[in-house]
Amino acid sequence: MLEAADLGLTISGVLETHVHADFISCARELAEMNGCPHYVGERARDYVSYDFAPISDGQVLKLGQVRVEAIATPGHTPEHTAFLITDAARSEDPWCVLTGDSLFVGDVGRPDLLVGDSQFDVMDEAQRAEWQWLSIREKLFTLPDHVEVYPNHYGGSTCGGVNMSGKPSSTIWFEKHHNLAPAQAGPAAFAAFLRETAKPLPDNYTRIKSINLGLLEAEPVS
Amino acid sequence: MSPQEVVAALGQGAVVLDMRPPRPFATAHLPGAVNLQFNRADLADRAEMVLPTDVPYTVHAEPDPIARVAEQILCGVGFRVLGNLAGGLRAWRDAGQRVEELPVIDVDQLHLDLSAYEVVDVREGYEYRHGHIAGAALLPSSEAWERASATRGEKPLAVVCGDQVRSSLVASILLRHGKEALLVFGGMVDWLERGFEVEKSQPLAKPS
Repeated sequence: MLEAADLGLTISGVLETHVHADFISCARELAEMNGCPHYVGERARDYVSYDFAPISDGQVLKLGQVRVEAIATPGHTPEHTAFLITDAARSEDPWCVLTGDSLFVGDVGRPDLLVGDSQFDVMDEAQRAEWQWLSIREKLFTLPDHVEVYPNHYGGSTCGGVNMSGKPSSTIWFEKHHNLAPAQAGPAAFAAFLRETAKPLPDNYTRIKSINLGLLEAEPVS
Repeated sequence: MSPQEVVAALGQGAVVLDMRPPRPFATAHLPGAVNLQFNRADLADRAEMVLPTDVPYTVHAEPDPIARVAEQILCGVGFRVLGNLAGGLRAWRDAGQRVEELPVIDVDQLHLDLSAYEVVDVREGYEYRHGHIAGAALLPSSEAWERASATRGEKPLAVVCGDQVRSSLVASILLRHGKEALLVFGGMVDWLERGFEVEKSQPLAKPS
């Protein structure tokens, strides 16, 4: 909020790529405090307990000259959404994509967190891996090569596997050519590759996910 | 502070510092408020450049946590801040309190009808000399508080800076002094981008 105020900006919406399992997001509180919508992919309707603004594939938010287009990218989670940014002040060509936990630099978001728990999810691991494969191959990799890729994590994050790069951003072209996971032969090989290269599970992820879904209250830090 | 407490402070001579960006400030603000846009990097410096330290202030920023940070920054450099308006403009309006507005024009309107206004350029002298609107009077924001009451014009004052941050600050000070001031949104950046003419002044002679 201070960062926005430093730039003379008013927060008019809070976008979440997905309901997180590795940190308490505070997105709800930020949206409430600013009196603005809290956007989450529409599939989250099935399991989130609080009110949010559902955002669907292809929906565009206009911010002056800047357009934010939602790209449904299920896989890491069912409601996962990437955001494609176009700044018409410079060009009608898209500039970058916020890929969340779908496509990382050198790796992809893991499809195995909290699978099989019907309270949280509607897909099994194989189905999620297949969706992640399709989200990356059929959607993100069809964006123009020059589009810059800004994921949620880099380096040591447990939301991806051992191939995640320490570099915070990349381009669609570079990931199409040099990212090992989506270069596998097909969805089954992709799923097997992700299991082999997975990191340990994040700490407390069941509890964190429950708080972000509004099923549990966070305890104040003493 | 509740709206009632802010009203009481205004009655005691407090000045409201409105820390929101110029656009929402222009649309509606507390009576007599001065528009000093928030940022952490140089709020203290800009406040010290422009505002006197011998009057009490009340902060209005939104949301409330920004107001608390602004209050700490200002108190840290010796301003007397009585508190901040809890709940912002919504709380003020819900309490039935009056708001004021600052009229806004853009550079196209100013260019089209230039002779209808007295242009006041509130940048510093070195910026003004580099290129300004023909006939513009120079009133650097750092001198605005002292010189506002002496600023005269037969016509409405069209206040210009590089964009709209300092111009909104000085326009709000001029309004406090009962002047008819308008904010030229977009300022010299937009004026130059349109390709409108500017006048250059001689640089000051270097001291020998």
